[in-house]
Amino acid sequence: MSHLDSFAERMTRKVARSTSRRSLLTLIGGAITGAATLPVLPVSRAQAQSHGGTPSGMAPQTTGNPQDPGDQTQCDYWRYCAIDGFLCSCCGGSASTCPPGTEMSPITWIGTCRNPADNRAYIISYNDCCGKSSCGNCLCNRNDGDRPMVRPQANNDINWCLGTESAIYNCSTAVILGVAVDEK
Amino acid sequence: MKLATALALLAAGVAATGGVAAGIAMPGVEKPARAHSNWILKCQGCHRADASGTPQTTPAMAGIIGTFLKTPEGRDYLARVPGVASAALPDAELAELLNWTLLRFDPARVPKDFKPYTPNEVGQLRSRPLRTEAAQTRARILAEIASGGGTE
Repeated sequence: MSHLDSFAERMTRKVARSTSRRSLLTLIGGAITGAATLPVLPVSRAQAQSHGGTPSGMAPQTTGNPQDPGDQTQCDYWRYCAIDGFLCSCCGGSASTCPPGTEMSPITWIGTCRNPADNRAYIISYNDCCGKSSCGNCLCNRNDGDRPMVRPQANNDINWCLGTESAIYNCSTAVILGVAVDEK
Repeated sequence: MKLATALALLAAGVAATGGVAAGIAMPGVEKPARAHSNWILKCQGCHRADASGTPQTTPAMAGIIGTFLKTPEGRDYLARVPGVASAALPDAELAELLNWTLLRFDPARVPKDFKPYTPNEVGQLRSRPLRTEAAQTRARILAEIASGGGTE
């Protein structure tokens, strides 16, 4: 035991001789400042990954179907891969129905999204809901397969409230039309 | 023996299902399922699922489109109209899609001696697409056919 005692005493005295109390303060101060600075660094964080959308602040809406995973009020929901607009799920409707008082446009933007559950491409129709002014909740702008305006049939920036009584845009849905034929 | 019988029944069943899935023969349509998928992706958004279209913006095709086959210019028009000529599909799939659209939405007006569009023909036609004059051209072709300018 005396060996251990003398070893501890030696080390303690060595530390006391070679360091000052101020250096300990410096160390603690550096750690506190560093901890405060870390979150400011430009690092991608999981909570910030909302694909150009705004946080919904809504209660999650899930189908409960393992074949249709995700929260339909969130921009990163798989069916929204080419949507551009306000999510009807946050506006009184759902991912496939319009809010009350609006009319679903029969003329639509159609594309495909890959379903993470089975990794197959599904054909999605982005029917706009029309007839009331912009919903304003859950703006989501993802552009898989979007083409410039010179190809209007493949451009999601234009107002697709066509063939409806009113051309006033309210929000967008994402309706599954079928499974895409895989040509490889 | 029982296994062989079961296999034979299974084979017959598969053959029958295949026949039903293929439906009536569609000349110039190699894969109807692929053509239908392309229809949904490239056409249906504006022309609607039943090809009824929307007055003012998108002409109806159901029960009408076969009329264009009555004159050579009408036949050319169908492959030169902007939506067809600029569709993001290779020539072979575009030709298949055109043939499928004619046979699916206006079979009554497709002539019995209809020669399906070939990839080569569609490739040449889409290289000189109609642009803003498409609507005028369409109206003129239909007027000529209505006044007896057709080959029938």
